[in-house]
This record gives sequence, C-alpha cells and structure tokens, in this order.
Amino acid sequence: MSISVKLVAAESLNRRDVFRSPDPFAVLTIDGSQTKSTAAAKKTLNPYWNEVFQFKNVSENSILTVQVFDQKKFKKKDQGFLGVVNVRIGDILGHLDEDTATSNGRAREETITRDLKRSNDGLSVSGRIILVLTVLPRAGSRNGAAGAAGSAVAGSGAARQSDSMTNASTIDNRLIAQTVANNLQTTTLDNQDSANAAGTASSGSGAGSSDAAPSGQPSTAQSQSSASRQYSSFEDQYGRLPPGWERRTDNFGRTYYVDHNTRTTTWKRPTLDQSEVQRVNTELERRQHRGRTLPDGGAQSEGSSSSNVAVHTGTGSQTPAVNGSAAATFAATGGTTSGLGELPPGWEQRFTPEGRAYFVDHNTRTTTWVDPRRQQYIRTYGPSTNTIQQQPVSQLGPLPSGWEMRLTNTARVYFVDHNTKTTTWDDPRLPSSLDQNVPQYKRDFRRKVIYFRSQPALRILPGQCHIRVRRKNIFEDSYQEIMRQTPEDLKKRLMIKFDGEEGLDYGGVSREFFFLLSHEMFNPFYCLFEYSAHDNYTIQINPNSGINPEHLNYFKFIGRVVGLGVFHRRFLDAFFVGALYKMMLRKKVVLQDMEGVDSEVYNSLKWILENSIDGILDLTFNVDDERFGELVVVDLKPNGREIEVTDENKKEYVELYTQWRIADRVQEQFKAFMDGFNELVPEDLVNVFDERELELLIGGIAEIDVEDWKKHTDYRGYQESDEVIQWFWKCITEWDNEQRARLLQFTTGTSRIPVNGFKDLQGSDGPRRFTIEKAGEVQQLPKSHTCFNRVDLPPYTDYESFKQKLTLAVEETIGFGQE
Amino acid sequence: MSSLKRITKELNDLGRDPPTSCSAGPVGDDVYHWQASIMGPPDSPYAGGVFFLSIHFPTDYPFKPPKISFTTKIYHPNINANGNICLDILKDQWSPALTISKVLLSICSLLTDANPDDPLVPEIAHLYKTDRAKYEATAREWTKKYAI
Repeated sequence: MSISVKLVAAESLNRRDVFRSPDPFAVLTIDGSQTKSTAAAKKTLNPYWNEVFQFKNVSENSILTVQVFDQKKFKKKDQGFLGVVNVRIGDILGHLDEDTATSNGRAREETITRDLKRSNDGLSVSGRIILVLTVLPRAGSRNGAAGAAGSAVAGSGAARQSDSMTNASTIDNRLIAQTVANNLQTTTLDNQDSANAAGTASSGSGAGSSDAAPSGQPSTAQSQSSASRQYSSFEDQYGRLPPGWERRTDNFGRTYYVDHNTRTTTWKRPTLDQSEVQRVNTELERRQHRGRTLPDGGAQSEGSSSSNVAVHTGTGSQTPAVNGSAAATFAATGGTTSGLGELPPGWEQRFTPEGRAYFVDHNTRTTTWVDPRRQQYIRTYGPSTNTIQQQPVSQLGPLPSGWEMRLTNTARVYFVDHNTKTTTWDDPRLPSSLDQNVPQYKRDFRRKVIYFRSQPALRILPGQCHIRVRRKNIFEDSYQEIMRQTPEDLKKRLMIKFDGEEGLDYGGVSREFFFLLSHEMFNPFYCLFEYSAHDNYTIQINPNSGINPEHLNYFKFIGRVVGLGVFHRRFLDAFFVGALYKMMLRKKVVLQDMEGVDSEVYNSLKWILENSIDGILDLTFNVDDERFGELVVVDLKPNGREIEVTDENKKEYVELYTQWRIADRVQEQFKAFMDGFNELVPEDLVNVFDERELELLIGGIAEIDVEDWKKHTDYRGYQESDEVIQWFWKCITEWDNEQRARLLQFTTGTSRIPVNGFKDLQGSDGPRRFTIEKAGEVQQLPKSHTCFNRVDLPPYTDYESFKQKLTLAVEETIGFGQE
Repeated sequence: MSSLKRITKELNDLGRDPPTSCSAGPVGDDVYHWQASIMGPPDSPYAGGVFFLSIHFPTDYPFKPPKISFTTKIYHPNINANGNICLDILKDQWSPALTISKVLLSICSLLTDANPDDPLVPEIAHLYKTDRAKYEATAREWTKKYAI
C-alpha cells in the first residue's frame, strides 16, 4: 500500500543554545529504505513545515521514523539531533487491506501527535510533532489517490509535495544518508528485539541492516506458508489470529507471534490448546532459569564473551531429560516475563527511550542487547522437539569445521572451537554480537577477538571501578583517578562519571570518556606524543618527552588507558604509526616501518642500500641525537663511531639505524607505556593479533564513506571510466568496513581517515589524495606506496582476478609500508 | 658518521674547491646554521644581483635535506615571499649523496630556468608563461631594488 505522511509541525523543541534557536528540519524514513526530508524552518522552536510525502510499499508493520535535526549543527557530531519519533503504521492506520483502505469512498486519514524521544546519545529532548497519515488506495482504484493527497494538501495553501530531498539544498546529502543508515539500524533492531525476545538466535548488534527488515515484507520467506504469501500480519492460511496477536517474521525468515495483550512473543501460532502447551513450556523455561547456577557467574561479562561457564559443563547435554521430567509450574514473578520465560536470576529487561529492549545483569552490573535466554530456544525448539519446526537450528547450516555445539548444565548453548581450544557463547555462524564496531567479515580476526576476549585474564572482575573526572580537566583528573587504583581495580566494571553530569555509565559515558581522553593525552601539545613526519594524524612517542620530568609516569598512565580501552572494549580515537603497533607485539622494526615514521629518512636509507656509498658517504656506526639543543653522539654498536660504513656492512647499519630511530631512542618511554598496558592486557594474549589487527582492536573500525573516498581520488595512467577503476570501486562498495579499513592500511599506512574526510588525506609532503596508478604486470599483486597514499593496480583483464588479487594483497600482506 | 662530521667535510670541500657564483659558510659558532650567497646568473633577469640564503641543517643530515630559504626578496615563480624554494631535490628527490654545493648550483639553474608548471607563486608562473617580457621586467626591477 502507499500512504502519504504530512508532517505538519513540531512544537516546544528543546533549546540547546541560550542565544539562538535552531533551524529545524525533519527526516522521514519508512523501514529505513525510503527517505524524505523537509526544508529547514528558520530560527524557531516551533517549526511549521506542513509538507506531504508519499511512501510506497508500506505495510502495517512498517515503521515510520521521523527525526528532527538542527540544520546549523547537522555536520556536527550529534548532528543537532532534536528528537525522534518511531511510529508503527499499523498502530495508526490499522489493517492496510485493500478493501479497508478507504471507508465510504474516502481515504482513511489519522492525525497524531507524538512526543519526541531521545536517541542513545542521551541528549535531552523535548517537544512533539504533529503528523497526518493517509492511506492511498492503489492507483486506478477509484479516484482516491489524488483525492487523498489533495485532502492532505488542502490543509494549507503552503503545503508542498516534496518527494525528494531537494529542499534540503544546503544539507549534505551524504550525512542524511548516514543518519538514515544509522536510523535504519535502530529501526530494524527494534524489530529484532522482538525477534530476540521470541528466542531467535539473531544477535542484536551484529545483524546487518541488509538482512534485517522483517517488518517491510511481512509475508516473505515463510517456510511453512506455501502458496499464498499475501496474508496480512493479523492472519495466515488458518484464518485470523486471536485479537491482539500479530504474526511477524524475523530476519531469518522464521515466523513468530507477538501477543500485544501481554507484550510477549512466541514461536507458536496462538490457538487455545497450543497456548496451554506454550504455558507449560514457559514454566519449564522458568524452572531452568531458576535452577541456573553459574560456577563463576560473578565474572560474567557483557553477554557475548563469557565462555567461562562452558568450561564447567561437561554434563550439559543431560539437561533436556531433566527438563522433560520437570512438570512443576511456577508463579510468574514480575514484569520481565516474555514468551521466553523468566530471565535468569539477577537479570532484568529494560527499555531505552526509543523502546529498544536491553538486558541488565545485576550480578555483574553489566548491560547487553543480547537476551540471555535467546540461545536456549535453539535447543528447546530445536529438531529434537517435533512440535516446533519452523526455526530449526539447521537453517543456519553446519558449524564451521572444528566447531561443536554443546549445552551448559543450565541448558544454555555454547560453542567449542577445537581449532583454538576455546569456547564461546557466540554462534560462529551468526554475525558477531561483540561490540558493533568489531569487524565481522574475516573469520580469522573475529575468532581472534573472540578467543582473546574469552581469556580469563580479560574477564571483568566483580565490583566497580569508579572514575570521576571533570570534563575540562579530563587529562589530569584521569591521571589521578587511574593511577591511584590498582590494575585489579581497573578490571572491574567501569563506572565513569563526569563531574556535574547525570547519567549512569551503561556504556555511553565511558565511550565518551575514552574519546575525550584520547584526544587529550595524545595531543602533541603535551610533548608526550608527536605526529609522525608522514602526516598530521598518526602519532608516535616524542623522543623529547623528557622535558616533562614526570613523563614516564604519564607513559605508564597512557599505557594503562590503552589497556583499559582494550579490556573494557572501548575504542580510543588515536592512531599510532604502524611501527608502534609492531613494537607492542615485540616485533622487530624494519626499514619499511620507517616509511610511516619519516619518509625522507626512509628514502635516504633506501638510497644507501640501492647505491654504492664507498667514497660518497662518509658514515660511521653512530648517530647524532639532539637533546634539547645539545648534540649527543650515540654509538649504534660498541665503539661504533670508529667503524666505517661500507657497501659490505651497510645493511647492518641501516638495520641498526632504523632500530635506533624508531625504537631505541624512545625505549624508556615505550617500556613505561607497555608496563601500563600489560597491567591490563597480558603480553602473550595480545600477540594473537598482527599489527594491523591491533590497530583495529585499539581504535575500532570507522564507517568509511565510499562516495567521499571516490570523490577525492586521483588517477595516474587510468581514467575514472576505465574498467579497472570501475572494478576497484565496485569491489570497495561490496566490501565491508573492515576490508575497506585494511585497504587503507595497505595504501596509506593507517586505517584512520581525516576528520573532514578523504580530501584532507596527508602524505609525507603535505596533502596527498588517495591515488590509483597504472603500474605492474597483470600477474602481479597490487602494490602500495604509503608515502604517497598510492596503490598501483596492474591493468587486470577481468573482475574476478582483479578482486582476488586486491583481496590477497590487502589481507595477506603483513607489515606496513609495502614497496 | 655524525652530521657534524659530514657538514664539516662539506665546509672544507667548499673552501678547497669553491663553486663559481656561490659561496656558503657558517653564520657563527653554530655549524648547523649557514648563510649562502648566489650571484644572479648573467643570462637571467637576476643578473647583477647578489642573493642571500639561509641554510639550516637537520641533525639527521644528510638523511634529511637541509632547509634552505632566500633572505633576499626575489621575484620568481618557484620562490615565494617568505623565500621558500620549491625544488624537488630539497623535498622528495633528496638523496644523501647531494651536498650544499650541488644544491646551490641547482638553485642557480632554477633562477635561469624557472619551472612554471610546478609553481609556488601561481601569479608569477602565469605571467611567466603568458607575458615573459613583463615577468622579466618585474624580476629585473626587484633585483635592482633588493639585490644590488
């Protein structure tokens, strides 16, 4: 069905600035796929838009999202967010059946007022918006369509049809797209939460947006409804559902049922006798949870990683029998009941302001999007139970080789990876439910992360670690707070508090904390770190940091903060030179690493290796080190100043010089840094990663805007219209952010993108746009020149070999600075 | 070796075998800070002028190029108002085998043959390409005003 939405106005928007009012505009999205935006109203808290938009292919389950932004702040971090409203179309317009689209020959129309809600950022929001929703009959059926739109418009002569975003001329469309993408995530996740509550094995944070729009097509992908797929979500081939019940499909195409009366969900189609079965099953579930004991439950961390339980559960597979004999019923206790049965002891279900469900584990004082009960349903309703067949686990396909599924003694499913001899709650066939930003495409890295985080040494300890800082003094305050605590204290649940600000730290505050702190402590202004000579955003230890007599304590502190971020799964907004990650892994730095540190020195050293120096350069095995204006002669090897560098021994000289230049002269600082880091993250554990993965682990993977990238790319020897270039962008578009990040690492030496996008990409000699050059033979792999942000692509002859070669070069090449 | 030794060696070489039309040497006690002078090439609009330059050696010289800038004002497409010089061998084409003597000779030839396709001052480069006579007149005028 098509509907029209008239966004009339908003009123009493939140005043963020004392002296000026926002320029509010609204972005409307249906199911994350159709997006429209209004023009910006000028300087008002009570904007009047009165614009009409039409949306096609709308169902009862479609979610209309209206977000309000301040246009003047749209490019800022919070995008001038002024609030959001999510509306399920069916809640307003009821059944969108063809025959009910109109009543008495007139289009059905509903005017609603909704309060604006907050987003996850927690910025305060006020006010409400006024919407008119109208059902548009199919084109050609009666004369309603035009009439409906007409009646909507009739409200005001000023109303306009705006089917495109042309109004928002001054707004960066890209940003809108991003916002909408984010929003899409939110919207679909809302739906998924219901799915999760119903016991699907989908993992809230991991599911991509593409596979997660169940509400958009309510009747697709249902295995058991064979021929007809046109039922509304309130009926199926067996007739209408009982009042208050609704049929939905999760993102695996499985049907589940929502009971809006009790706000519960179930896999079973509600009929009288089946609901009895359901009740019994629920009680069985409840019993399981009641009897649940976690041998070390106190150490359970955020949902996904706590494989520790699994270790103790060799007899877990016995549970179903016990379960089957348990006939006792238990009274429901409290409001956390859903179709899944009760939550485990100490758990509570809560809702974000947007209504998204999350789960609080009071045992460990942690929160997670993942329903702690969800895994059980795979077992409970798995192939062993014949009553429920629509969601067999086998739909997911077999486990990867070397993996095994097991059950704990509380009947929770966990997975054993015999390859790494590790266990995890995460189904390896599902998108990861680790932090949203942790990459998912490459099994290796994902598994490494799972393995890494499943290690006992990285488990959150019971208790809380309180850190209270003033925003304006975050560096010094954090130093005091973090250094006065023991490493053990720091391994407890982080509770960050900004002085004078409300807000419990369920993740958002600590994210903000690490973000702000990384900007401060790595600021070259403090002389602890400096920018590399390569660009102005990768950082390295400042060899002259000793100007601050306390510098080693600060390096230890910074090491602790980096460790803290890794330990508590928060990302730092900081990117080191590639060599520093290698050093953190105790790898030897080599000449190539110099490219990211100082390309001029790199070129000179390379020149020495490639040219005869006898009689041209008069070198000895020592260097001059300037320390605050004083020159100190440093021997690169014992008595080095007396040993001449010749064509025979120059290789050794280059190695020693590189080692000194990158590592030795910051040895003290680096040691202090690592002392702090290893207090939280043991050295042997971090070694599972390579240096590029370590960068991603510490910094996370950013959203990469391919359009912006493309716009600011230069070509040498190629035209943008050339096939290889077309393939390149096709490939990049197909890739996910981790793969893109890895390509950036390969080409530029870091996965970081400048704050203002690719136009600000820096090379060793100033701004250097991303460049693709025609070079090399078709049988060769692409090469990169990180000094110049350049990738050399041979003129490959077909897409498949192109993609395969680029993937290989990007993924398999270890070490920064490919020459 | 140390940069100090290398710079001292270059200084000695300059004394032993001074290049025509250039001279260079330390400003004071600091061997890392030199001053140089270049005679305007006879076949250029800079003829007759004497141009001074300041040279700073980095401590990792000769792994990194010296920093050289004009202290005398000069009208040239590749030299800006601050005296900065756009010359590839002072940037990515630097090699540790280059010396101050060779660099100064390169600067001399830059005065004779400007490189308007890689300009530091686009306006002068434009004039150079479109109205050479006017460019030369202005360059001569500046030379007369600042360098003689």
